[in-house]
Order: sequence, then C-alpha cells, then structure tokens
Amino acid sequence: MIVVLSTFSFLLAYISILTISAFGGMFSEKSGTLALSLEGSMTFGAFAAGVAMHLLPATLPDALSALIVILIALISAGLFSLLLALACVTFKANQTLVGTALNILSTAIAVVLIKHITRTETLPVGNSRLNFTRFYEIFNVDMFGIQGVKFNWLILIVLVLVPIVYLLIYKTQYGLRLSACGENPSSADSLGINVNRTRYTGIVLSGLFAGLGGLLLITMNAEWEFANGANGFGYLALAVLIFGQWKPLYIFLGAFIFSIFKTLSVVYPSIDILANLGISSYFYLALPYVVCLVVLIFTSKKNAGPKTLGEPYDKGKIS
Amino acid sequence: MNKIKMFFSSLLKKDATKTVITSLWCALIGLILGFIILLFINAKEAAYGMTSVLGNYLIFSNPQDRLNYFGQTLAKTAPLIAMSLSILVSYKAGLFNLGASGQYSIAVIVISFLGIGLNWPWWIVMILAMISASAFAMISGALKAYFNVNEVISGIMLNWIALYLTNGILSNSTNVWDSAHSETYTISNSSNAYIPSIGLDKVFAGNSIVGLGMVLILIVVAVIFILFKKTTIGYELKATGLNGDAADYAGINKIKNIFIATGISGALAGLAAVLSLQNGFTAWRLGSTPPDIGFQGISSAFLGGLHPIGVIFSSYFIVHITEGGSMITDLGFSPEVASIMTSVIIYLSGFVVFVKEVMHKHEIKNELNKLTREKEEEV
Repeated sequence: MIVVLSTFSFLLAYISILTISAFGGMFSEKSGTLALSLEGSMTFGAFAAGVAMHLLPATLPDALSALIVILIALISAGLFSLLLALACVTFKANQTLVGTALNILSTAIAVVLIKHITRTETLPVGNSRLNFTRFYEIFNVDMFGIQGVKFNWLILIVLVLVPIVYLLIYKTQYGLRLSACGENPSSADSLGINVNRTRYTGIVLSGLFAGLGGLLLITMNAEWEFANGANGFGYLALAVLIFGQWKPLYIFLGAFIFSIFKTLSVVYPSIDILANLGISSYFYLALPYVVCLVVLIFTSKKNAGPKTLGEPYDKGKIS
Repeated sequence: MNKIKMFFSSLLKKDATKTVITSLWCALIGLILGFIILLFINAKEAAYGMTSVLGNYLIFSNPQDRLNYFGQTLAKTAPLIAMSLSILVSYKAGLFNLGASGQYSIAVIVISFLGIGLNWPWWIVMILAMISASAFAMISGALKAYFNVNEVISGIMLNWIALYLTNGILSNSTNVWDSAHSETYTISNSSNAYIPSIGLDKVFAGNSIVGLGMVLILIVVAVIFILFKKTTIGYELKATGLNGDAADYAGINKIKNIFIATGISGALAGLAAVLSLQNGFTAWRLGSTPPDIGFQGISSAFLGGLHPIGVIFSSYFIVHITEGGSMITDLGFSPEVASIMTSVIIYLSGFVVFVKEVMHKHEIKNELNKLTREKEEEV
C-alpha cells in the first residue's frame, strides 16, 4: 500500500514540476522567444530559494518562512529571465546561443556561491550540496495522514494554476495578445500592441513559473546537489511543451505521460516484477528521454509552434 | 602618416576586424564580472585569484613547470577546438548541434572498449570513434530530415540518452571500469591506443600529453577552412544555412545536406573525445549531467566569430582561464568562477550582431556627414 501511495506521490510531484515549468516555457514561446533557458531559470530559482532556506533563522514561524522562500524562488527566477529578454528581445541575439549561455551561467553562479556559503574553517572551498531538512518538513506533509508517504503541498498551487493558465491564455485580452505577438508580430504591432513589451512580460512570466517548478523540484528532497542544475527537468519540460503543442491542457496531458516514466525510474526497485527483471537502472533513467524522442517523431510533422518562434521582431521587416 | 591612418580606417571597416574587436570586448566584460565575483567572495585574495586565472601556467616561477603546464593547456585546447568546429559546421548549415555532448559520450564508449579494453592501435580507435559519433549525430539529422523534429530538442534528448547509455555500459564492464574511482581507466602512454607524442614531449618538459594530436587538430582546422572557402559541398552547406528555401529552389538537396552537416559535426565531436581521452589525460567519470565540453564548444565557436581560425584562439582563451580557475581553490575560490566568466562571454557574444549593426550604421552616418560637408565646402 505504501509503495502504491509513494509512487502516486512521486507521480503527482513530477506532473506538477513538468506542468508548471512547461507552462512557463509556453508563455515565453507563445510570444515568440525560445525557452531554452528554462533549465537555467529553474536552477536559479531553486538556488536562490535554497540559499534562503539555508540562511533563514529557525526562529521564524514556519508559514512566514515558507512564504518568503516561495517569493524568493519566484522573484529571482523572474529577474534571471530578464537576462533572456534583454538579449533576445532588445538586442535581437541568437536565442539558442543565449539560452545555452544562461543555462551554464545559472549553474555556475549557484555552484560558486553555494560553495562559498558552505565553506568552513577546515574546508576552504565548500561543496555544492545544500541541506534543508527543516523546509523539507515544512513543504511536505504526510499524505492522507499515513506516515512515510510525503506530499508536497506546492503541488496544490500548481493544480490550482492549471485552469487559471488555461483561462489566461484563451479567455483574456492578454493571452490573445501574447499569441498574436508570436504568430504575427507585424499585425499585432499595427493594432497598437507593443510587441517587445508583450514579449518581455511573457518571458518574465516564464521565469516566475520556472522558479516555482525549481522550488518544487528541490523540496521533494531534503538536500540538493546544485552542480547538476535542475537535473534536466527544464529540458524535459521543453519537450513536454512541444509535445503539448503549446496548448495548456495538452501540456498537462504530456506532463502526465512523461511523469509515468520518470516515476518508474525512481520507484522500479520497490516494484517486485520490475526489480526481478534485472534491467540496469540506467535503462529506466534513459526511458523518459527515449519516449520523448519517439513522441516527438509523431508530433513534429505538423509544425504547430508559434509562427515566428526564435525570430526577434524587426519593425522594418515585411513578413 | 595619412597612409597609415587610411590603412587603419579601412581595417576597421572590415567585418573580421569588427568581430575581433567585439569579441575582445565581450571577453573583457566577462573577466571584469568574474573579478567582481571574486571580490565579493574574498576581497583580500581577489587580485591574486584573478592573476592566477589569467596567468594560469605563468604564475609558476620554475620555467620547466611553466612549459609543462603550458603543454597541458595546449593539449586541453585541442579537444575544445574540435568541439567548436563541430558546432561551427552545423551552425553554418543552419543547424544547432546541441547534441555534441551526446556524440562525445558515444565516442567515449568506443574509445574505452577498443582503446582501454582491447588495446587497439590509436588511429583505428580514432577513426571508429569518429564514425560512431558521426552515426549518432545523424540520428538527429534523420529526425530533422524525415520527421521535422527540431534538432535542438532531439540533440538534448540524445545527450541524456547517450549519458545513461555510456554510464550503464562502461560501469558494467570490468576491464575498462575502475570502480574504486567511479571512472574508466586512463590510457597509459605505453598503450597502443595512446596518441604518439612524436617528440613534442621533449619541447614541453617531458609532458607527453602534447603530441600528434596538436598537429591533427591544426590539419582539421585547415580542412574545415578549405571546405567552406573552396569546395562545392561547403558552399551548398552555407547556402542551406543562409536561406534553406532559396537553396532548395536552386536545386541544392536539403536532406543530403542535413546528413552531411550532422555527419561532419558528429565526427568532430567524436574527435574531441579522442583528443581528450587518447592522451591519457582524462577518463570518463560517472556523472549525472551530460559532459560540459559540448556546451563549452558553443562558447568558443561563437567567441571565435564562427570562423575556423578564430576558434583556435577562443578555445585557447577558454581553456586558459578554465585551467587558471582550477588553480584558485587554495585561495577559497571555487573553480567554477571560470565557468561564470565564459558563460557571461557567450551571453554577451549574442549581442555581437547587434553591436556590429550599430557600428555599421554609425559608419554610414559619418560617411554621409563627410560627403555633405565636402559639398558645402564646394559651394
């Protein structure tokens, strides 16, 4: 029973991480900017939150500390994503290049500063691992009151956000403008929409969402190795985004499918049938990526992405 | 005097010069930011730390040590040059090879089995490693050509698949895996798979990791240079990269070119693995993220202005500060400071096109002003 429930808890957590991060990517890409730096934004949000969790005094009430940590994760990742906006929207830089640079940068900053924080008298350069057991206890509650099965309540925030994001994209003026800036920026411009400003908001929203995803990811554990960044979740979220054809509900479905395989790689040793097969753990680790690739083969033929994805908006250019 | 001035002003107008100048600016800003971070961490030692990063082997007082570490820096530059060329070739053809890390990993499997396990001659190992990496890269190519799968995404997915494949295969092979250190055995310089030093070790104070690899990489640079400058294949690749549809109308086979570009690109990523493993310097460590070198290749390719000769200098620069960065741990700094500097530099090199455009506009404006002034004087 506990195995089933903890599998379920992992599954829920992975669905939420991938959904929220892919939503983030969607805001950026719908407005026309490639969200390759999703991994970097997740790492940066997680890093800032991790440092906050390390430094916040234990005397602070739990609820207040949790609120502070969530806000720090959101704000820092949002600010970090401004770097993407500045380069790609204002300075029309190559978006793949900048995305790659930001992914390296956020991990490097996290590692350098965490090594600085964790150093001691005997250890002049610390390690890049942070422990936050207190916050693990705060963010995770016993699922259905059963001991040993943890449930991260940040997941609830994500589940609430799913319908909100759906409405935001399809039913509000802002959502439609966002899509317009990605599909046909010149027309949007001619109707008085400030394309670059809209793209900025899309990118910052993507940072906020990725920050929450990063926080959820690291608080699934009591400690995190920051040298691994967000452990590839940002890239998986990007694949989920493409699989979900940039549509909120499909993204949620895609996140569900990938999470099944991601969960499998964690829980397979405790499932007797799978453990007895004697297949290498690396097989299960690679499985989500293989599935992802296969799914992309079937979904990429019809190019459903925003029309001007990856192109900076140039007023003088006739499209 | 006027002639010299004219020479300089015409030099400044050249595109290559502009690229060099903007790249140097990027590097300078990256270094300054790195210094600020060092100041923040330990203000007292920051200046010395920065000297170590920039000086690398120059901080040694013993000339033999200097030569030895200079050799080491050179030997580590070679794989990065190969990696940058891998990125460069695909980029010129309009593709972004983010899967270079994965191709590198696949080559590592081949090198470990044939080189460490079976002790085959180095050149056979090299060729087979390059072929397998090339074949792996073509998976991305095929997905792009036949299923329209974005090569950036498929490259990233293949990186992770290759990572787990390599970890899984190598860590279960007792004859290549050193389980005490969680890494493969290194190739010793008595092994057949070791790239011969051809006497270069004597130049570098007996450091035998410098060798034929250095010559090989220079030849490869020349080949890639000629490929794009003089050959039809190179011209077609560039045409596809500049405007795929136009190239298609002109009768250039797009699918064939995708395969050529990813194939060459993968082979070069494989060569990077050859040059870093077959001189006994590095081993495959059990890591949980794809190897960094694939992403470093992107940095140096762009910092080098996407020019085969430019990447020699940019790769050297990046390795130089990375090696320098590894020397500052005793001062309480983490070596990843160098990573911050390089990533800031790549980030800024994204602005290069924009800056060049501004410079160009400025020039035109000056020219126009000059003409109007001359006109007015005539009147």
